Amino acid sequence: MSLTLLEGSLLVFVLCCALGAALLKDTMASVIAFAAYSLGISIIWLVLQAPDVGLTEAAVGAGIMTILFLIALANTVTPDVDSLFESVRWRTVALVGAFVLVMAATIPSLPAIGDPTAPVVGGEVTQYYLANAYKETQVHNAVTAVLAAYRGFDTLGEAVVVFSAGVVALSVLRREVFA
Amino acid sequence: MSADEAPGLYVESTIIMTTVRVVAPFVLTFALFIMFHGADSPGGGFQGGVITGSVVMMLAFAFGIDSTRQWLDVRIVAALASGGVLVFAGIGLGAIALGGQFLQYNVYKPYYYEASKYGIELVELGIGGIVASVAIGLFFLLAAGFGYVTGEGER
Repeated sequence: MSLTLLEGSLLVFVLCCALGAALLKDTMASVIAFAAYSLGISIIWLVLQAPDVGLTEAAVGAGIMTILFLIALANTVTPDVDSLFESVRWRTVALVGAFVLVMAATIPSLPAIGDPTAPVVGGEVTQYYLANAYKETQVHNAVTAVLAAYRGFDTLGEAVVVFSAGVVALSVLRREVFA
Repeated sequence: MSADEAPGLYVESTIIMTTVRVVAPFVLTFALFIMFHGADSPGGGFQGGVITGSVVMMLAFAFGIDSTRQWLDVRIVAALASGGVLVFAGIGLGAIALGGQFLQYNVYKPYYYEASKYGIELVELGIGGIVASVAIGLFFLLAAGFGYVTGEGER
Protein backbone atom coordinates (compact mmCIF):
# COMPACT_ATOMS: atom_id res chain seq x y z
CA MET A 1 0.00 0.00 0.00
CA SER A 2 1.50 3.31 -1.01
CA LEU A 3 0.36 6.75 0.04
CA THR A 4 0.07 9.76 -2.20
CA LEU A 5 1.43 13.06 -0.90
CA LEU A 6 -2.12 14.28 -0.17
CA GLU A 7 -3.08 11.20 1.81
CA GLY A 8 0.19 11.17 3.72
CA SER A 9 0.01 14.81 4.72
CA LEU A 10 -3.68 14.46 5.67
CA LEU A 11 -2.88 11.50 7.91
CA VAL A 12 -0.01 13.37 9.59
CA PHE A 13 -2.24 16.43 10.04
CA VAL A 14 -5.07 14.36 11.57
CA LEU A 15 -2.66 12.53 13.85
CA CYS A 16 -1.11 15.77 15.10
CA CYS A 17 -4.56 17.31 15.68
CA ALA A 18 -5.74 14.22 17.57
CA LEU A 19 -2.64 14.30 19.78
CA GLY A 20 -3.18 18.02 20.30
CA ALA A 21 -6.84 17.52 21.26
CA ALA A 22 -5.83 14.85 23.76
CA LEU A 23 -2.72 16.46 25.24
CA LEU A 24 -3.27 20.23 25.19
CA LYS A 25 -4.08 21.47 28.67
CA ASP A 26 -6.00 24.58 27.66
CA THR A 27 -9.56 23.42 26.97
CA MET A 28 -10.17 26.02 24.28
CA ALA A 29 -7.04 24.96 22.38
CA SER A 30 -8.11 21.35 22.76
CA VAL A 31 -11.55 22.08 21.26
CA ILE A 32 -9.97 23.88 18.32
CA ALA A 33 -7.55 21.00 17.74
CA PHE A 34 -10.54 18.64 17.82
CA ALA A 35 -12.36 20.72 15.19
CA ALA A 36 -9.27 20.67 12.96
CA TYR A 37 -9.07 16.91 13.49
CA SER A 38 -12.69 16.51 12.33
CA LEU A 39 -12.07 18.65 9.28
CA GLY A 40 -9.01 16.55 8.36
CA ILE A 41 -10.94 13.32 8.86
CA SER A 42 -13.79 14.60 6.67
CA ILE A 43 -11.32 15.24 3.84
CA ILE A 44 -9.91 11.74 4.37
CA TRP A 45 -13.45 10.36 3.96
CA LEU A 46 -13.63 12.21 0.64
CA VAL A 47 -10.31 10.67 -0.44
CA LEU A 48 -11.72 7.28 0.56
CA GLN A 49 -14.70 8.02 -1.73
CA ALA A 50 -17.28 8.23 1.05
CA PRO A 51 -18.76 11.71 0.49
CA ASP A 52 -21.85 11.05 2.63
CA VAL A 53 -19.73 10.28 5.67
CA GLY A 54 -17.38 13.16 4.87
CA LEU A 55 -20.28 15.61 4.73
CA THR A 56 -21.59 14.35 8.07
CA GLU A 57 -18.16 14.60 9.68
CA ALA A 58 -17.68 18.15 8.41
CA ALA A 59 -21.15 19.31 9.47
CA VAL A 60 -21.43 17.50 12.80
CA GLY A 61 -17.84 16.95 13.94
CA ALA A 62 -16.20 20.13 12.75
CA GLY A 63 -19.30 22.35 12.80
CA ILE A 64 -21.98 21.78 15.41
CA MET A 65 -19.84 19.94 17.97
CA THR A 66 -17.28 22.74 18.00
CA ILE A 67 -20.00 25.36 18.48
CA LEU A 68 -21.62 23.36 21.29
CA PHE A 69 -18.24 22.82 23.00
CA LEU A 70 -17.37 26.51 22.71
CA ILE A 71 -20.74 27.67 24.00
CA ALA A 72 -20.42 25.24 26.92
CA LEU A 73 -16.90 26.54 27.60
CA ALA A 74 -18.19 30.12 27.56
CA ASN A 75 -20.47 29.21 30.47
CA THR A 76 -17.69 27.73 32.58
CA VAL A 77 -14.81 29.24 34.48
CA THR A 78 -11.50 28.58 32.78
CA PRO A 79 -8.74 27.78 35.25
CA ASP A 80 -5.34 29.30 34.73
CA VAL A 81 -3.15 26.95 32.77
CA ASP A 82 0.42 26.68 33.98
CA SER A 83 1.82 24.32 31.35
CA LEU A 84 1.08 23.80 27.67
CA PHE A 85 0.52 20.06 27.76
CA GLU A 86 -1.14 17.61 30.11
CA SER A 87 1.23 15.48 32.11
CA VAL A 88 1.11 11.91 30.87
CA ARG A 89 1.85 8.71 32.74
CA TRP A 90 4.38 6.57 30.95
CA ARG A 91 2.54 3.35 31.80
CA THR A 92 -0.50 4.68 29.93
CA VAL A 93 1.67 5.73 27.00
CA ALA A 94 3.16 2.22 26.83
CA LEU A 95 -0.30 0.61 26.93
CA VAL A 96 -1.76 2.90 24.26
CA GLY A 97 1.39 2.51 22.18
CA ALA A 98 1.08 -1.27 22.31
CA PHE A 99 -2.57 -1.02 21.25
CA VAL A 100 -1.65 1.27 18.35
CA LEU A 101 1.04 -1.21 17.26
CA VAL A 102 -1.48 -4.07 17.26
CA MET A 103 -3.93 -1.98 15.21
CA ALA A 104 -1.17 -0.81 12.85
CA ALA A 105 -0.19 -4.42 12.20
CA THR A 106 -3.53 -4.92 10.42
CA ILE A 107 -3.00 -1.98 8.03
CA PRO A 108 -0.88 -3.83 5.41
CA SER A 109 -3.68 -6.34 4.87
CA LEU A 110 -6.23 -3.63 4.00
CA PRO A 111 -7.15 -3.48 0.30
CA ALA A 112 -6.10 -0.43 -1.72
CA ILE A 113 -8.60 2.44 -2.14
CA GLY A 114 -11.11 1.54 -4.85
CA ASP A 115 -9.71 -1.96 -5.30
CA PRO A 116 -12.36 -3.84 -7.33
CA THR A 117 -11.32 -7.16 -5.79
CA ALA A 118 -11.82 -5.94 -2.21
CA PRO A 119 -14.10 -8.28 -0.25
CA VAL A 120 -16.68 -5.58 0.51
CA VAL A 121 -17.12 -4.73 -3.18
CA GLY A 122 -17.50 -8.34 -4.22
CA GLY A 123 -19.80 -9.12 -1.29
CA GLU A 124 -23.26 -10.39 -2.08
CA VAL A 125 -25.02 -7.69 -0.04
CA THR A 126 -23.11 -4.82 -1.67
CA GLN A 127 -23.79 -6.17 -5.14
CA TYR A 128 -27.48 -6.59 -4.33
CA TYR A 129 -27.79 -2.97 -3.17
CA LEU A 130 -25.88 -1.64 -6.18
CA ALA A 131 -27.92 -3.68 -8.63
CA ASN A 132 -31.38 -3.24 -7.14
CA ALA A 133 -31.37 -0.01 -5.12
CA TYR A 134 -32.63 2.19 -7.94
CA LYS A 135 -35.17 -0.32 -9.21
CA GLU A 136 -36.65 -0.91 -5.76
CA THR A 137 -36.44 2.53 -4.16
CA GLN A 138 -36.24 4.98 -7.10
CA VAL A 139 -33.34 6.91 -5.56
CA HIS A 140 -29.94 7.20 -7.24
CA ASN A 141 -27.83 7.48 -4.12
CA ALA A 142 -27.41 3.91 -2.87
CA VAL A 143 -26.37 5.24 0.56
CA THR A 144 -29.74 6.99 0.91
CA ALA A 145 -31.53 3.88 -0.33
CA VAL A 146 -29.91 1.79 2.40
CA LEU A 147 -30.38 4.51 5.01
CA ALA A 148 -34.03 5.30 4.39
CA ALA A 149 -35.39 2.12 2.84
CA TYR A 150 -33.44 -1.09 3.47
CA ARG A 151 -32.31 -0.01 6.94
CA GLY A 152 -35.16 2.42 7.53
CA PHE A 153 -36.06 1.02 10.93
CA ASP A 154 -32.51 1.62 12.21
CA THR A 155 -32.65 5.16 10.89
CA LEU A 156 -35.94 5.77 12.69
CA GLY A 157 -34.13 4.66 15.84
CA GLU A 158 -31.30 7.11 15.13
CA ALA A 159 -33.70 9.97 14.51
CA VAL A 160 -35.56 9.19 17.73
CA VAL A 161 -32.22 9.11 19.60
CA VAL A 162 -31.54 12.67 18.39
CA PHE A 163 -35.06 13.70 19.40
CA SER A 164 -34.61 12.09 22.83
CA ALA A 165 -31.30 13.93 23.28
CA GLY A 166 -33.18 17.20 22.86
CA VAL A 167 -35.93 16.16 25.27
CA VAL A 168 -33.40 14.95 27.85
CA ALA A 169 -31.45 18.21 27.61
CA LEU A 170 -34.72 20.06 28.26
CA SER A 171 -35.57 18.00 31.31
CA VAL A 172 -32.04 18.03 32.77
CA LEU A 173 -31.88 21.81 32.50
CA ARG A 174 -35.49 22.11 33.77
CA ARG A 175 -36.62 24.13 30.79
CA GLU A 176 -39.93 23.89 28.98
CA VAL A 177 -39.03 25.37 25.63
CA PHE A 178 -36.13 24.84 23.28
CA ALA A 179 -35.05 28.42 22.78
CA MET B 1 -29.14 42.43 25.03
CA SER B 2 -29.97 41.18 28.49
CA ALA B 3 -27.90 41.42 31.62
CA ASP B 4 -27.59 37.72 32.28
CA GLU B 5 -25.70 36.92 29.10
CA ALA B 6 -22.17 35.97 30.02
CA PRO B 7 -19.90 38.98 29.68
CA GLY B 8 -17.67 38.89 26.65
CA LEU B 9 -19.78 36.28 24.90
CA TYR B 10 -21.17 38.72 22.36
CA VAL B 11 -19.24 41.40 20.53
CA GLU B 12 -21.29 43.55 18.20
CA SER B 13 -19.41 43.86 14.94
CA THR B 14 -20.61 45.46 11.74
CA ILE B 15 -18.35 43.19 9.69
CA ILE B 16 -19.74 39.98 11.20
CA MET B 17 -23.35 41.21 10.99
CA THR B 18 -23.01 42.23 7.35
CA THR B 19 -21.23 39.02 6.39
CA VAL B 20 -23.83 36.86 8.12
CA ARG B 21 -26.65 38.84 6.54
CA VAL B 22 -25.19 38.15 3.09
CA VAL B 23 -24.08 34.56 3.66
CA ALA B 24 -27.03 33.19 5.67
CA PRO B 25 -29.51 32.85 2.75
CA PHE B 26 -26.94 30.93 0.75
CA VAL B 27 -26.13 28.60 3.64
CA LEU B 28 -29.83 27.96 4.18
CA THR B 29 -30.28 27.23 0.48
CA PHE B 30 -27.32 24.87 0.56
CA ALA B 31 -28.76 23.12 3.62
CA LEU B 32 -32.12 22.63 1.91
CA PHE B 33 -30.34 21.41 -1.24
CA ILE B 34 -28.41 18.83 0.81
CA MET B 35 -31.66 17.74 2.45
CA PHE B 36 -33.84 17.59 -0.68
CA HIS B 37 -31.17 16.29 -3.03
CA GLY B 38 -29.89 13.63 -0.65
CA ALA B 39 -31.71 10.97 -2.65
CA ASP B 40 -29.59 11.56 -5.74
CA SER B 41 -26.32 12.97 -4.39
CA PRO B 42 -24.34 12.79 -1.16
CA GLY B 43 -26.22 14.23 1.76
CA GLY B 44 -29.56 13.76 3.38
CA GLY B 45 -31.59 14.72 6.40
CA PHE B 46 -28.86 14.43 9.02
CA GLN B 47 -26.33 16.61 7.18
CA GLY B 48 -28.89 19.09 5.87
CA GLY B 49 -30.49 19.40 9.28
CA VAL B 50 -27.19 20.22 10.93
CA ILE B 51 -26.42 22.89 8.35
CA THR B 52 -29.93 24.36 8.80
CA GLY B 53 -29.29 24.51 12.53
CA SER B 54 -25.96 26.20 11.94
CA VAL B 55 -27.73 29.05 10.13
CA VAL B 56 -29.51 29.96 13.36
CA MET B 57 -26.22 29.67 15.26
CA MET B 58 -24.62 31.98 12.72
CA LEU B 59 -27.39 34.52 13.38
CA ALA B 60 -26.83 34.16 17.11
CA PHE B 61 -23.11 34.69 16.54
CA ALA B 62 -23.75 37.91 14.67
CA PHE B 63 -26.73 39.41 16.47
CA GLY B 64 -26.38 38.00 19.98
CA ILE B 65 -27.79 34.83 21.49
CA ASP B 66 -30.56 36.46 23.47
CA SER B 67 -31.76 38.60 20.56
CA THR B 68 -31.90 35.48 18.37
CA ARG B 69 -33.67 33.60 21.15
CA GLN B 70 -36.37 36.24 21.24
CA TRP B 71 -36.63 36.38 17.44
CA LEU B 72 -37.01 32.61 17.14
CA ASP B 73 -40.48 31.16 17.62
CA VAL B 74 -40.05 28.27 20.06
CA ARG B 75 -43.24 26.66 18.81
CA ILE B 76 -41.68 26.20 15.36
CA VAL B 77 -38.61 24.51 16.86
CA ALA B 78 -40.73 22.15 18.96
CA ALA B 79 -43.09 21.48 16.04
CA LEU B 80 -40.17 20.62 13.74
CA ALA B 81 -38.68 18.18 16.24
CA SER B 82 -41.87 16.31 17.08
CA GLY B 83 -43.27 16.72 13.56
CA GLY B 84 -40.19 15.03 12.13
CA VAL B 85 -40.61 12.00 14.36
CA LEU B 86 -44.33 11.88 13.54
CA VAL B 87 -43.72 12.08 9.78
CA PHE B 88 -41.07 9.34 9.84
CA ALA B 89 -43.05 7.01 12.11
CA GLY B 90 -46.28 7.88 10.30
CA ILE B 91 -44.89 6.85 6.91
CA GLY B 92 -43.56 3.65 8.45
CA LEU B 93 -46.75 2.73 10.29
CA GLY B 94 -48.95 3.88 7.42
CA ALA B 95 -47.37 1.19 5.26
CA ILE B 96 -48.40 -1.40 7.86
CA ALA B 97 -51.92 0.03 7.90
CA LEU B 98 -52.11 -0.43 4.13
CA GLY B 99 -51.14 -4.07 4.45
CA GLY B 100 -47.42 -3.87 3.80
CA GLN B 101 -44.43 -4.03 6.11
CA PHE B 102 -42.91 -1.21 8.16
CA LEU B 103 -41.59 1.50 5.78
CA GLN B 104 -42.48 -0.54 2.69
CA TYR B 105 -42.80 2.51 0.45
CA ASN B 106 -44.29 0.80 -2.59
CA VAL B 107 -47.64 0.15 -0.86
CA TYR B 108 -48.27 3.87 -1.39
CA LYS B 109 -47.95 3.33 -5.13
CA PRO B 110 -51.71 3.31 -5.86
CA TYR B 111 -51.89 6.86 -4.49
CA TYR B 112 -48.79 8.26 -6.17
CA TYR B 113 -46.70 6.53 -8.80
CA GLU B 114 -43.28 7.65 -7.56
CA ALA B 115 -44.19 6.64 -4.02
CA SER B 116 -40.78 5.25 -3.03
CA LYS B 117 -38.87 8.30 -4.15
CA TYR B 118 -41.10 10.83 -2.45
CA GLY B 119 -41.58 8.62 0.59
CA ILE B 120 -37.81 8.59 1.09
CA GLU B 121 -37.71 12.34 0.42
CA LEU B 122 -40.33 12.93 3.13
CA VAL B 123 -38.44 10.72 5.57
CA GLU B 124 -35.27 12.74 4.88
CA LEU B 125 -37.19 15.96 5.50
CA GLY B 126 -38.50 14.53 8.78
CA ILE B 127 -34.96 13.65 9.85
CA GLY B 128 -33.81 17.10 8.79
CA GLY B 129 -36.49 18.72 10.94
CA ILE B 130 -35.55 16.67 13.98
CA VAL B 131 -31.81 17.26 13.63
CA ALA B 132 -32.11 20.99 12.86
CA SER B 133 -34.44 21.75 15.76
CA VAL B 134 -32.53 19.62 18.28
CA ALA B 135 -29.25 21.25 17.20
CA ILE B 136 -30.81 24.70 17.64
CA GLY B 137 -32.37 23.63 20.92
CA LEU B 138 -29.13 22.22 22.35
CA PHE B 139 -27.32 25.38 21.33
CA PHE B 140 -29.74 27.67 23.15
CA LEU B 141 -30.02 25.36 26.15
CA LEU B 142 -26.23 25.16 26.53
CA ALA B 143 -25.94 28.90 26.07
CA ALA B 144 -28.53 29.49 28.77
CA GLY B 145 -27.15 26.92 31.19
CA PHE B 146 -28.57 26.43 34.66
CA GLY B 147 -28.53 30.06 35.72
CA TYR B 148 -31.09 31.27 33.24
CA VAL B 149 -34.19 29.94 35.00
CA THR B 150 -33.24 31.00 38.50
CA GLY B 151 -32.24 34.51 37.38
CA GLU B 152 -34.66 37.39 36.96
CA GLY B 153 -35.84 36.00 33.63
CA GLU B 154 -37.53 38.39 31.23
CA ARG B 155 -39.42 35.78 29.26
